[in-house]
Amino acid sequence: MMERETHVSFGQVPHSLFDDLLGEMSWQLSDDRFLLRGEGDHYFLYCRGEGITVERGENIDVSEESLWLNGRVYSAIASMNGLMPIHASAVAFDDKVFAFTAPAGGGKSTLVAALANHGLPMFCDDTLLLDPSDSDRILCLPGHKRLKLRPDAVGLTCAVPREKVSKTVDKFYAEPAAGDVGVALPLGELVFLETGPQPVIAPIAGAERFVRMQDDHYTAHLFAEARKFDRAGLFTHLARMATQIPMARFVRPVDAASFEEGVELVANRVKSRGLT
Amino acid sequence: MTALAKLTDRFTEADIDDEIVVMRLDNGEFFSLAGTGAIIWRLIDGTRDRKGLLTALAGEFDGDEAEIASDVDEFLAQLKETGLLAG
Repeated sequence: MMERETHVSFGQVPHSLFDDLLGEMSWQLSDDRFLLRGEGDHYFLYCRGEGITVERGENIDVSEESLWLNGRVYSAIASMNGLMPIHASAVAFDDKVFAFTAPAGGGKSTLVAALANHGLPMFCDDTLLLDPSDSDRILCLPGHKRLKLRPDAVGLTCAVPREKVSKTVDKFYAEPAAGDVGVALPLGELVFLETGPQPVIAPIAGAERFVRMQDDHYTAHLFAEARKFDRAGLFTHLARMATQIPMARFVRPVDAASFEEGVELVANRVKSRGLT
Repeated sequence: MTALAKLTDRFTEADIDDEIVVMRLDNGEFFSLAGTGAIIWRLIDGTRDRKGLLTALAGEFDGDEAEIASDVDEFLAQLKETGLLAG
């Protein structure tokens, strides 16, 4: 479904879905259309069942295009089609997905790249799509993005760098050392990355799980808007997610000296949780 | 006495592990009930008045009855103040 809906063509698109003009770096959403304006006159229109049309104005940075398509546009399409995107990178073990979420720059990709050195293949980078259509479990759809790492993360994880992501983004594409997984799997655990004095992993329980479900970033808002939840509907959705998704926090200092200790801690947890 | 009654049309709730998350529908405000608060909330089922609530709690906890009654009254007042309980 996502492959079909994310087919890209080029041409002119409307510059607004409503009466208001669309400013740079903003978006509009209607019942069956999503319009994003990037920098300058760079527009992305998604129509349900018809795919994406990209309009390239003058002086736009084409190297940014795949970032928009794989980022906000992809998340919007997923949301409009019943999938829930969350800002997370993930590995797979024993037919379960272990996902790591944090704000941008919080170490998600670096951790996933490092876990590859412990034999854990990548499931996704940066965006994890959850399929909540089965009421008994949350299924994860395999990632669509290539692994992206900052130069220091390449060194830290011994990943093999490929080309630069774009002219303005100081990241490189990299190949995950343990490969990746291309099949849908249930979510084993969602781990929140935090900073603290020493590496430790602790489960998150009770109402904090509910609060954490609201803690996610732009994608949660997009999903709520696309699903047209009223207040009670959003509450029911978040409560279900909080109940069905096991959660933990991984607290660690952000320094190279204790990096491997933290990675080993996470790798051991993934392997022990995967076997339960 | 009149049975204690939740204003069920004003909120929605969910059990998450041993805790209860309650949301007011009019303003989206959240409350988290854990431990004794969650037990009292579950005991307010529309059949018990204050005395019945205290009797039920006496079966759950050892302790000074007057102190328990005082804590319960304070909690019930908070529930009324937040618009979750009639009265």
